[in-house]
Amino acid sequence: MPYLADLEQSGIPTVLLHYHEQKGKVLNDLKLYGIPHLRTVEADRKSPGGVEEADRVMPLLLEALTRPATSEEKKGGEWSTKKPRILFEGTIEEAEEFYSQTENITGCLDTPFCRYTDGLPVVIPTEERVMAMLKGTSHKPDEIITLQRDIELSGGDAVRARVKKLKGDPVEFLPMFRRATVEQVAVNAVMAGCKPNQFPVALAIAESGGGTGDGRGGGGAFILSGPVIKEIGLTVTNNIFGQCNPVNKSLARLGSLLWRNLGGYKETVTTIMTVGNPVLNGGMVLGEYTEGLPPGWLGLNEEFGFKKNESVLMNVPVGHSNSAWGIGQEHMPGVYRSLQRTGHGAIARYLGVKGVVGPHNYLEFLCKDIWACREGGFTIGMPPQIAMDMYNYGFKTKQSIYEFFWKKSFEPMSKYRVRGTPDFRTNGWLGTEPISGKPWKDLPDDYMVPAGGDDPFRSFAVFVFNMEETQTARFTGGHHDAYCIDAWR
Amino acid sequence: MPAAKQKTYKCLNPEGIDEPVEQFPLAPRLDKLDGKTIHLSVCGEQDIWHPLEKRLKTDYPNVNWTVKKRYHIVPLQLTDEERKTTDAVILGVCW
Repeated sequence: MPYLADLEQSGIPTVLLHYHEQKGKVLNDLKLYGIPHLRTVEADRKSPGGVEEADRVMPLLLEALTRPATSEEKKGGEWSTKKPRILFEGTIEEAEEFYSQTENITGCLDTPFCRYTDGLPVVIPTEERVMAMLKGTSHKPDEIITLQRDIELSGGDAVRARVKKLKGDPVEFLPMFRRATVEQVAVNAVMAGCKPNQFPVALAIAESGGGTGDGRGGGGAFILSGPVIKEIGLTVTNNIFGQCNPVNKSLARLGSLLWRNLGGYKETVTTIMTVGNPVLNGGMVLGEYTEGLPPGWLGLNEEFGFKKNESVLMNVPVGHSNSAWGIGQEHMPGVYRSLQRTGHGAIARYLGVKGVVGPHNYLEFLCKDIWACREGGFTIGMPPQIAMDMYNYGFKTKQSIYEFFWKKSFEPMSKYRVRGTPDFRTNGWLGTEPISGKPWKDLPDDYMVPAGGDDPFRSFAVFVFNMEETQTARFTGGHHDAYCIDAWR
Repeated sequence: MPAAKQKTYKCLNPEGIDEPVEQFPLAPRLDKLDGKTIHLSVCGEQDIWHPLEKRLKTDYPNVNWTVKKRYHIVPLQLTDEERKTTDAVILGVCW
């Protein structure tokens, strides 16, 4: 859309062809990019072969380029909104009613969609509660949320490209490209149920873009590292993915509220349609148990170049719809112990170490067929015992694990070519394969490609949580972007 | 006995800030198609473009059609030099 806006402003007439289900999002974006009158033609995404649909849209496209602009289309102006700081005044009961209001959305079959919440009741953000929340930081209430350090963000227009941003750049909350103040984050933090001592984490979550992701969500999952975990009481132990810890739960919920309120998310109106993501429906905030790290294994903070005593937040790219959970080989926890203690059980049989006492390479078993139906890397959470076993086996650093997985993911081009996502990732095979530097189309069938991503560190991540049981958690992820929580104290 | 008046509170707005955006008029439209250079900016799903590009070139041979294709959602842009000789752009299906 910014490209179309630039062309129109430079005097080149344009027309946009889009699918008709995207109309709400198109109209929204036209306004955001200053071209409200841009002519558009809607296509049907279901037309077989596309021939009849092409015949139908062709005259409409050409007419849009040649029909003289109307007086309305020749008008300029300014689009702006005025949002009052005090949104509501009344009793708590009245406020509860107000904040829980919904509107029906046509694109969602006229079902209700919350105006200010994630669908559940919220803590009412009275001025007093917000002021108390603001005591959790030294930053001023009217300060705009900006990046606290220079950073090369993941993503970008070419999917794989990374985008350089500078300290002080305002954070844009998608899909409406809004900005936000410290106070506005505090309002949402109150609504989510956060306490003031959690507020620096909430602000770091906001610095990461909140739960907005690319506008369609996907940004509401985080892993924390450093002293802040103990300070706020985040659970890093049994049931780490479960409920009943108010710190994990409220911070996780915050992403959804930031996406709705700071980003302006409204399904099919300000975004194109998605199926959502069950992991992010409620969010996910995890912490690492650094006491359980084997010698030489760095915490996430140090992996990103921070110090051990610095608190860091990493957003986890679980995606807006296509995240994977529980990937890799399943097994009963006891089977793991049998492998390492006596060399018995299914994993020992797979590894061919029957009767041999460990340590054995459990990771070899874990990643068996892990790329059979998906591409990309993953994150593994493991308890201290498994981490120590892997250390004793020979993985003296986390990086050695990332490289192990990455090397295991190589497969011939003939197989890679018929996967589901590379059409997109390789730009229709018109791009360049990053390792060889050769065009994708020139690579022979037996050329080996990493299905696990381009870079071992970016593709994979390991974190340790506290647990006596020997089971691991695996999900879409890898190292994404890190934000310093201490900068928001 | 009358009920005690319940305390009222000022409650704050959780929404972010929309920066004002200048709205621009449409660029002047083409007076005719013949002899013009019209650029097809293809991005996102390609399927409908296969028959569409073919029909445009067949039915309008007097138009100078130029094309840039990309499977990503963000289009490949015209260079400054290419813009100087381009009269109009059709873009789709992503934006």
